Formats: sequence, C-alpha cells, structure tokens
Amino acid sequence: MVKTLIKKYYCKNTLFRCKYIFMLKKTLYASIALLLTTNVVFAQESFAPVKLKSVSGKTVNFADVAATSKDTIVVISFWATWCIPCIAELDNISDVYKEKQAIKPFKFIGVSIDDSRTSQRVKPFIAGKGWQFDVLLDINSELKRALNVTDVPHVIIIKNNKIVYRHTGYIAGEEDNLFEKIKSL
Amino acid sequence: MKKIFITVIACISIKSGFSQQLDQMIKGHLNGSYESYSQYYMQDDKIGASLPTDRDKVGSNNFLKLDYTYGKFSAGIQYESYLPSILGYYNPDQNRINQSKIANKYFKYSEEKFSVQIGDFYEQFGSGLIFRAYENRQIGINNALEGVNIYIEPTNFTKIKALYGRTRKLFDYSNSVTRGVDAEIDVTKMLSNKEHNTRISIGGSYVGRFQEYIGTIDNYPSTVDAFATRLDLNTNNFSLNAEYVSKDKDPHYFNNNSFEKGKALLINTAFTKNNFGITLTARAIYNMDFRAERATDFATQLPVNYVPALTKQHDYLTSNIYVYNAQLNLGETGFQTDVFYNFKPNTKLGGKYGTKVSANFSYYGSLNDNKDIMSVGTNKYYSDANIEVKKKFSKKFETTLALQNIYYNAAIIAGGHEDVLANVVALTSLYKYAPKKSIKVKLEHLWTKEDQGNWVSAITEFSLSSPFAFYLSDLYNYGVSGNHYYNIGGSITKNATRFSLAFGKQRAGLFCVGGVCRFVPAAYGFTATLTTSFGN
Repeated sequence: MVKTLIKKYYCKNTLFRCKYIFMLKKTLYASIALLLTTNVVFAQESFAPVKLKSVSGKTVNFADVAATSKDTIVVISFWATWCIPCIAELDNISDVYKEKQAIKPFKFIGVSIDDSRTSQRVKPFIAGKGWQFDVLLDINSELKRALNVTDVPHVIIIKNNKIVYRHTGYIAGEEDNLFEKIKSL
Repeated sequence: MKKIFITVIACISIKSGFSQQLDQMIKGHLNGSYESYSQYYMQDDKIGASLPTDRDKVGSNNFLKLDYTYGKFSAGIQYESYLPSILGYYNPDQNRINQSKIANKYFKYSEEKFSVQIGDFYEQFGSGLIFRAYENRQIGINNALEGVNIYIEPTNFTKIKALYGRTRKLFDYSNSVTRGVDAEIDVTKMLSNKEHNTRISIGGSYVGRFQEYIGTIDNYPSTVDAFATRLDLNTNNFSLNAEYVSKDKDPHYFNNNSFEKGKALLINTAFTKNNFGITLTARAIYNMDFRAERATDFATQLPVNYVPALTKQHDYLTSNIYVYNAQLNLGETGFQTDVFYNFKPNTKLGGKYGTKVSANFSYYGSLNDNKDIMSVGTNKYYSDANIEVKKKFSKKFETTLALQNIYYNAAIIAGGHEDVLANVVALTSLYKYAPKKSIKVKLEHLWTKEDQGNWVSAITEFSLSSPFAFYLSDLYNYGVSGNHYYNIGGSITKNATRFSLAFGKQRAGLFCVGGVCRFVPAAYGFTATLTTSFGN
C-alpha cells in the first residue's frame, strides 16, 4: 500500500527520483537485516579503533579511551581553530572547568578537525587560550567520519562505551545544558 | 522542492524510529548521518544571478551515511543524491549532476596493530602534500580510493601504510590506478622504552599514479612517481615538522603539459609558553598539482594530493572577498606566522575578564628560478596582515575588534587585471541579555581604490532561546556596483539535528573551505539545510 502511495504521489514526474527512494529503502532494509544477524552471532562491543595524535605527538586510540572509561562520562567536543562558535563554547567550558569537575568528575577531550592547512596552529592556539583539557588532532577527519559528525561544533557524550548524547551547534549559554546532562547521567 | 521535502521527512522518520530501538537491540555501534543542502534559484540581472541553463530551478545535494562496527569488523555505505546538484558543484554549470547512487562502501577489519580495509577509503600521508584522499562536501571533493588499504605496526616504533586503488570520480572511477606506501619510525621509542617528553619521528612515502598513454609524443609518462621524506620533532613547548616532496614529470591540463618535475618543501615550527603561542610556517612549491587523470579540467576533480593556501581563514564577509588560492603549478614561495596571547584576568591589560589577542601575517610570491624552490622571486602574489583583539567587559558583554591589510595580485590569483590593496575593519559585539538569549552585531568595512571599490557589511544574529536562532545580514558594494547582497535566515537545533532556511543573495566569487576553493556563481533565492547525526 505504501508502495502504491509513494508511486502515485512521488513518482509522478520522473522515474529516476522514484528509483531513489526505493533504493534508499532497500539499502536500509539490507543494513537492518545485516545488523540483526550480526547481533546474534557476536557478543562483544567496542568502537572502531581510530588512532589520533595529541598536541604533544603522543598516539591515542579512541576506542581504548572509550572502553577504559567505563561508567565515567567521556565528553568529546569536535572543534576547529577557524570555527568561531566552537571557540566560544570551549572558552566558556574552560572558564568553569575546574568548578564543574569538582561537582562530578568527567573526561573532556577536544578533538580538533583542523587539517594540515591549520593543524600547526592548534598547539599555540590552545596555549594562548589556556585550556585545561586534552586536545587530540583529527587531521584527516577519521574520527569525525567514524562517529558521523557533519558540522562543528558537535558534542558527544559516551558512557559505558556507548554514545548516550549528541548535540550540534552552539548558542551562548548552552554549555549549561551540557553540564546538566553530565550531572543527570 | 517537494521531492526533497519527502526525502527529508522519510529520513527523519526512519531515523527517529530506528535509533531508539536499535539502542536496546544492537550490541555493536551503529552510526549514521544525513545532510541535505538545497537551493531554489531566482533571477537577478543586477548581481548576475541567472537561472540554471537546464531550467530546473532547484539544486539539491543529499548525503546519507551509515557505519556499523562490531568487534573487529566495521562496514559502511554512503548514499549520495543530486536532484540535481547545486550550481558550481563538481561539474561546470551546464552539466549539473543528476544522479543518485551508493557512492562509497567499505568493509574493514582492524586489530590494535593491523588493519585492512577494502572498498572506498580515505587516507593521508604526512601533511598530505604527496597524498590525501578526503571528503569536503561543501567544496565538492571526494577523492576516496576504491581498492585496498593496509596498516601494520611490525614493531612498537614502526607504522606502515600501503594502498592500491582507483580514485573516485563522482559515481564512477578514474581510468588510472594510484598506489602508495608510507612508513613512519618513532626514533625516540626505537632508542628507549621509556616515555619521553621529546618525541622525534621520521617518515617516508612513495606514491605512484599510472594512467596509460597511447598517444604519439615521445617519453610521455604513463606513470608518475612521487617521493616524500619528513621529520617531526615534538617537545612540551616546541614543535618542528618538515616535509620535502619531489614528483616526476607529470604533464596534464592544469600545468599546460609541462614536462618539468614537481617539488615542495614545507616547514612548520611552533613554540608555546604559559599563555603565549607562536607559529611559523614556510612553504615553497612548484608544479605540485597532482591529478588522477591528465585531462581533468575542473578544479575540484580528482586531486591526488592536498596543497592548501597557507593563510588565515577569516570569518568576515568582507575579508572573504579577496582570498588567496595556492599557486600549485606556477609555483610560489612564502610564509605565515601566528601569535596568540592571553592577557590574564585581573591584570592591567586583561581587565576583570581577560583579553585575548591574536595576530597573523602571511606573504606569498614567485620563485626566482622554477628549478630551485629555495630561490625567492620578486613578483608578489598575496599578503595579509591582521590582528584580532577579543575583550570581555562583563559576564554579559564582549567585543572583538579585527583589523586587516590585504595585498591581492588579481592577475595571478583570479585572472583579473589590477593589483588590489585593501583594508578591513570589523567590530563584533555580543550581548547576553538573559540566560541563553543573546544578540550579536557584526559591522565591517573594506576600503580599496581598485576593483569594486569599497564594501560595507552588517550582520545581526539573535539567539532568542534555544533551539531558535535568526540572522539578518547585508553586504553592500557602494564603491562601484551599488549592489546589496542581503540575507535573512533562521535555524532550529534539537540535539544533533539542525535545520536552517535562508533567503537572499550570494556574491559570485571564490568560495573556500580549508584552503581549497571553488568558484560559486552569483545566486538569488532560498537555501535550506538539514543535518542530523545519530547512533550509539
């Protein structure tokens, strides 16, 4: 019935656009089927191992960070040196960082998506800012892609090795929502 | 427009029903994202905005991506739909993309010290000067390779990457193959097992592209080989990276079939102390445009490497009128420096809430001798000197003042006639009148005696209360044309979903993201954007 409805209203003009929505559906069904079958077969879980460098050149595996944190909350904030709202958000978080840590401890990692055009600016930039939290460099957007982040700023909260919250964009004052969320989890 | 709307609704409903149940059902990680960018074009002869030549007034680029990881296995797809593509994207305008397909698909097996990926993959060697496969949806670059990508750590101080594949050419592939190997040795780890504050590593890469040549010119290369070496040094407050690339003779469309070798040298240094940071970057390049196919004639198609303009990426409308584009084929030499300083709160210059200062200077010009990338020529291409001061006066009010001086050699950068000397002043004020409610006003002015003369711009942004935000802006060229480029728009954001709608005029010019530019035609009409990310 749905098919007829779609055909009637959606495929009126061109066949090609009609093909699009059916293909989309097919793909989704296929992935759901794949997921359900794999779910029965396997039993362990971890994020895809993505290796990033810290600003001091140390290699960090994101999957390990997520797995070893267990029920401690991990906040991943995607940003870039050219992203004005990202910087406003991180500045405001940095201002109250110690105070909020005292209420409920959490891990906070700023993941810079600056590519090789601007990545060399990251280390002096954060020194100039005096940010207290760790910053990792995602120079070819590997982690950004693995976690399906489309735009920055984008915040992800991970608990017990699962993503429990995501937020995109930033408006002044929204960091309070984030801290409330951390407290409630 | 209706079709796009239905697609969007379908995606949202799939998403919301889907992700919640999956949360409980699925043991692995399923992630996805959907991004839609649509424009409705109207005619405006004054700014040169014409209707698309194919008479379809809509342009819409859509991307759906799904990735699943379970234990050591991951797989994913990317579905792309152009209904048809927005103007100036990937193809010349008379030849817009009008297709929808699964564009990328991959399967990956990864362990701690080993991984293998088959299908479409992204990768980068060093800084990307020799090889970078990446995606930039705004500019329209996706040069993922389809083939095999292997990563091995044979010892705890060695990393090796090897790849082989065809470059993605929209929904097809290049008629060439690219192969490459990259090795990196962590010298510090090799010499000692302890953790050190100083880290030194060296690396080397080989990238080769083979595209069969069946013409009649003698010695015309089918294979182009490129080699790179690099050094990275990192201490707590100092870093140095250097990379040198050489590329064999590589005649193609963009370098006018030049048989000369390509060369590039890049040096980055940075120093930090307390609340102070400084960087210095120097780069010289010649004949470094490296493409998967020789005959490619559209700037964003089939790049093998990544050579961005090393200048500051500004966030002002007027600053983005004269932007630099790296001269890959002609050759260039130059440098860029950045200084960051934070005057701490409760000091004389810091005031109660602190003052943040950043300054940047960049200069690029010709090589004296194309065979020698260390030689500095006399023809100046571009320079940009700018300073930005951000001052917080109270918890509710802060301002940012920016000054900029630009030299722009239009003949070299954009094929124009004259050199442009411009000055920009921009003042941004943010007032938070209630919790989560704010008004931002940005005023800018650009002075120049050349080209289009003076510009003035004003932007007002209202964040009424989350999730709503609105803006009004106008960019006005009162120097020559008298054209207004006004825009009005708003957005709604809920968690990781954001929808925005705007109406207005877009100036024709170079649109640059991440140092890569494409030419966007003048446009007048509506723009709707939807992005969402989901998963566990």
